[in-house]
Amino acid sequence: MSRYEVNSLLYRLKKDRVFRARFNADPDGALAGLDLTDGERAAFRARDMERINALGGYLHLVMSVPGMAAHVTHTEPE
Amino acid sequence: MGKIVFAAAMSHVLDPDYYQAACGLTGRRKVEACMAEIEKLGETLLARRPDALIVVADDHLNAFSFNAVPAICVRIGRYVNRMIQDEAEAFDKVLDGMPERYTLHEELANRILEDGLGAGFDLALSWEAPIDHAFLSPVMTMHGARPVTPLVPIWINCFVAPQPTPARCFAFGRHIARVVATSPWNVGLIATGGLSHFPELRLPRVGESDVVFDQKLLGWLAEGEHEPLRALTPAELDKAGEHEFLNWMTLIGAVTPARADVRYFGELGRINLAAVEWRVA
Repeated sequence: MSRYEVNSLLYRLKKDRVFRARFNADPDGALAGLDLTDGERAAFRARDMERINALGGYLHLVMSVPGMAAHVTHTEPE
Repeated sequence: MGKIVFAAAMSHVLDPDYYQAACGLTGRRKVEACMAEIEKLGETLLARRPDALIVVADDHLNAFSFNAVPAICVRIGRYVNRMIQDEAEAFDKVLDGMPERYTLHEELANRILEDGLGAGFDLALSWEAPIDHAFLSPVMTMHGARPVTPLVPIWINCFVAPQPTPARCFAFGRHIARVVATSPWNVGLIATGGLSHFPELRLPRVGESDVVFDQKLLGWLAEGEHEPLRALTPAELDKAGEHEFLNWMTLIGAVTPARADVRYFGELGRINLAAVEWRVA
């Protein structure tokens, strides 16, 4: 597990609009050359934020990357 | 001789739309009730005519990621900008529409920083870091349309392990109190975040909060019992979803042994919302 690589990628996806667009258009190309494990690469390709969080991705990033954020909703009792 | 004329801690995602989307009308109603109390706290703060407002809050991996993550960082300079996030989602969206630039109390920030280094606190400094909802949502709720008090933003690393200990944050709060006491200024102090939410920072646990732990904390605050708080560990805070209580610990150190009055506590699975004021006047 490479906590730095996972989180720096999440951070770049959040903050860098051009990179985000490139990832959305060509995930494999955007991820090429990054030091990710096969599991991490697969999780990003699948945009699986729960898996990315389990792999060390910080919660506030997986909940706030534009267009990829995990939106957890739940009904609260009155 | 300076004085801390106001001290309060409060939740910091203050957006009824966010809570309604996340957890329905109950969420909206509870955050609106919490915000109403925070607005009243703002009235109290401004009535005491503070020269500066110290805001102790945390970075949500926006300002410092990942070239350096300071344990404690003092924002210096003359101005601070709010974080700009294009296509903002969730808690980032709270910032949309807020003013982009805020005045800092440069001299107080410099004293906290410089005297802190002299006193053994290896503080980080920043001239550029922007501030996110953790700072601005409470500040703007308290000030409304009125001019914002000159700010001293201070970040505590609440999320990126290893975090500073609760005892260290308390000790840093004592330092803040000493700086204020030897200054010529009347100072307001707020700590933001919490209470219990997002235990272990795991996505499957979003929606769980620890009411029992919160009630224990609030009981100690009401009684001015601060020793048990200093003994808390980062692991305990992580398990209970109390990461942001490190911000509160800094404030508690600054005002100890003052007792607190709970102005609002609202249970939500998403997060237990709170607003607390200390008797410092």
